[in-house]
Amino acid sequence: MSYCEANDLAVGYNSPLLEHIKFAAERGQILTLIGPNGAGKSTLMKTLAAQLAPQGGAVLLDGQSLSVYSPTARARKMALMVPRTNRTELTTCFDVAAAGRYPYTGRLGILSEEDKKQVFDALHLVNAADIADRDFDKISDGQRQRVLLARAVCQEPEILFLDEPTSFLDVKGKAELMTILRRLAKEKNTAIILSLHELDLAQKLSDAVVCVSPDSVSDIMTVKDAFQKENIQKLYKMSDEEYAFLFGKKEPPKFEHYIRSGQKLLRCGYTTGTCAALGAAGAARLLFTGKAPETVGLRTPKGIVVEVAPIYCEKTETGAVCAIRKDGGDDIDATDGLPVIANVTLLPNEHGVVKIDGGKGVGRVTKPGLDQPVGAAAINHVPREMITEALLKEAKTFEYKGGFFVLVSIEGGEEAAKKTFNPHIGVIGGLSVLGTSGIVEPMSQQAIVDTMQLEIHQAALKNGARRLILTPGNYGLDYLRETYPALMDIPIIKCSNFIGDALDAAATEHFEEVLLVGHIGKLVKVAGGIMNTHSRMADCRTELFCTYAALAGAKKEVCEALMQAATTDACLDILDQNGLREPVMHGLINAVQLHLERRAAGAFQVGAVLFSNQTGPLGQTETAGKLLQKWKES
Amino acid sequence: MKQNGTKRLTISYLALAAALLALFMLNIFCGSTALSPKDILSTLFSAGNNALAQKIIFGLRLPRAAMVVLLGAALSVAGYLLQTFFANPIAGPFVMGVSGGAKLAVALTMVVLLNHGLFTSSLTLILASFVGAMVAMGFVLAVSQRVKRAGVLVICGVMISYICSAVTDVVVAFAQDSNIVNLHNWSMGSFSGMTWENVLTAALIVLPCLALSFMLSKPMAAYQMGEAYAQSVGVSVRPFSVALVLLSSLLAACVTAFAGPISFVGIAVPHLVKRTLRSAKPLHVLPGCVLGGAAFCLLCDLIARSIFAPTELSVSSVTAIFGAPVVILLLVRKQRREAAA
Repeated sequence: MSYCEANDLAVGYNSPLLEHIKFAAERGQILTLIGPNGAGKSTLMKTLAAQLAPQGGAVLLDGQSLSVYSPTARARKMALMVPRTNRTELTTCFDVAAAGRYPYTGRLGILSEEDKKQVFDALHLVNAADIADRDFDKISDGQRQRVLLARAVCQEPEILFLDEPTSFLDVKGKAELMTILRRLAKEKNTAIILSLHELDLAQKLSDAVVCVSPDSVSDIMTVKDAFQKENIQKLYKMSDEEYAFLFGKKEPPKFEHYIRSGQKLLRCGYTTGTCAALGAAGAARLLFTGKAPETVGLRTPKGIVVEVAPIYCEKTETGAVCAIRKDGGDDIDATDGLPVIANVTLLPNEHGVVKIDGGKGVGRVTKPGLDQPVGAAAINHVPREMITEALLKEAKTFEYKGGFFVLVSIEGGEEAAKKTFNPHIGVIGGLSVLGTSGIVEPMSQQAIVDTMQLEIHQAALKNGARRLILTPGNYGLDYLRETYPALMDIPIIKCSNFIGDALDAAATEHFEEVLLVGHIGKLVKVAGGIMNTHSRMADCRTELFCTYAALAGAKKEVCEALMQAATTDACLDILDQNGLREPVMHGLINAVQLHLERRAAGAFQVGAVLFSNQTGPLGQTETAGKLLQKWKES
Repeated sequence: MKQNGTKRLTISYLALAAALLALFMLNIFCGSTALSPKDILSTLFSAGNNALAQKIIFGLRLPRAAMVVLLGAALSVAGYLLQTFFANPIAGPFVMGVSGGAKLAVALTMVVLLNHGLFTSSLTLILASFVGAMVAMGFVLAVSQRVKRAGVLVICGVMISYICSAVTDVVVAFAQDSNIVNLHNWSMGSFSGMTWENVLTAALIVLPCLALSFMLSKPMAAYQMGEAYAQSVGVSVRPFSVALVLLSSLLAACVTAFAGPISFVGIAVPHLVKRTLRSAKPLHVLPGCVLGGAAFCLLCDLIARSIFAPTELSVSSVTAIFGAPVVILLLVRKQRREAAA
């Protein structure tokens, strides 16, 4: 059960201003109310602190409705601090703090020795013991807030409310107050509810947040959710520009380089290789200058300059580390946002040598055919060159003659690698540091094509028979393998939409017999010579069906029905109804064969097997039939 | 510091008590009829044989002095309660128009009843005075809801006072000749003509009110920090403020019923007492106000009746001469603080 709960609470003066408020505060935790001026933070606070009667619902304190408590019983449980007090005269800070003992003293409010001790302890807690005898009216605002806090502490509250306690404080005052509040929550297990205007403070101080806007009060939110840009902008009705003015980082401008993809402008990022090279340069500069660089930059192989601020850059016992956040631009992949860390050690006796290895989060090569030999860290040759170049440039600038050792690691790399192709291609234990241009061009196609090419390359290495099965997806493979058990030994490569690229790669790797297996919905496009079957590139499926149906003598109505069909399966149904399926499939399959051979250009034998969702096997090209027969026999 | 504080309090209380006693004695010894100290002492401490002295001392000077003590204490405590309630050091029954309201009500009652040849008892007058005080207080409260600035509040109070005075003058004009002198004297503020019966009635009202005020000193201390703070430590603010308003009005009404409006005592005394005690705690200030208020009024009354003897000045003129500068001083200081803040 929570310590203080708002139970479908409505607050306001005379009429409800905010309704259906529901949240709870726990002891030992700091709950912050944020929201624009006039939204009702203070009204809510006053109602929670029993200064205002609820307009509906109830406030539960320690399991009981607030209205059940006598004023004294309530005051022994909750204390309130508001920013303004009346001017006092001839009142020492001790007197002010001692006012908090009210619920505990007798009829005339005379302090016992125990009370006095409590007051001194409280003043001590807020670092105000030294000003106990000063006149409360003649101290600074910061001291005043602390004394008022001591007063609340004297009350020995289990829950403490503070309405904009930082209003009149300078930076130091704010920091002091926040530190004390943290201490209170922790040491005295006090539940603390406060309202703040300073979002930066709120973000650092709070355990939980409630957003108060003029029309509603949010539930308990985590700090992370509450301070999302969208939430803050909505809460304070802030424009992008205003938000950026307040919270925009003063880092060098974001890496801004765009490419056009279809209708969209996509932001490029930089590769893990670039990050590693930047990190190495940053660490080296710290070692040479003794000062952490604010930004580091380099020219990527693509010719684009990348300049970023390190996440951190600091000295270690042996050298220096510098972390750079990977930015994939609009190409959000597994590595995006991960810190790539370069740990640089100087090797003074090894002139011009740069040794590179992979640490935690960077994978290791376990299979042949990759950029790096088996056993090496999965840092490709281009990143290695970039790191070397960056370090030697720093060395030259600072007239350093020795060499370097760089250990590249990626925070969270191990976990992220599970989402990549790495385990599949034989890089284990982490991510690869790669990139040939240094720049990530969003259109993750390129990444898929790269991976596919690599897989075909690896398949070529271990497959003596030089046979290969390509498939856009897994569809039909199981059927094929059951029918032709011999196929179990033939490598299968998923080529996604990139059928043309896969065929090219197969040619490069000197395969001799290639079988394309897939769903009619994808492969029918090949009949039209479409070698990238992504729907953004081309569709033409119904057009192809229609064309071949017309060639087979279909009537105009049938052709029209085919053109209107939503799916290839629907096309097949129409063909069945008109008894045209066989001639049409025959025509399509021949066309597929023709285009596959044209792309293969005599480099290998190629055939295709087509399946449908509904009917299973649909047919196979002539060459496919020959190949299957041959593979079955061998 | 703690030690010093207690020491200072003790010394201050003793000094105030001594001053009170001395002034009390002076008030008995001095007067328009010259009595020798020997006569007075013998009259006081042994059944004297001087009939005139006996009559003057027991019939005139003693009840008057006792009344001054009671009403002086009542006035300054009433002032202090109002200052606490309004969180304003220049609040007081006179400047806020409470005395004026009471005065008007008393004058009205007196004239109406006298014109009908009816007897006016002290209690009737106190009641009328209380009603008048409450009406004026209601007006001040209404203004204070809208205006937070102390100065403006005081100006409103002074204006109320003037209106009441003007109306009172009109009322007095309708009074029968024989009562005019009396009424006129009273409406200027005077302690003359007090009987033991008056003293008893006043004591029955003032003493319980003072005791009750003293019992409120704990919540008053909490209230000094502001309403929100008082509430947060467990003061039931509403009943408490009602009590403050009622007590201060009753005290002020009682004074007005017997002695007419007496100016500035309610502001000057609490302020001087706080300075003397170097404390603003109600627990300390309230007893100080009782002693100080009584002593201050004894002094003023002494001056009022002896400086141009046998002509008696209105006591309000004397209290104004001493009290008004204190109010000006406070106003200026407050203004300076507000400008600084």
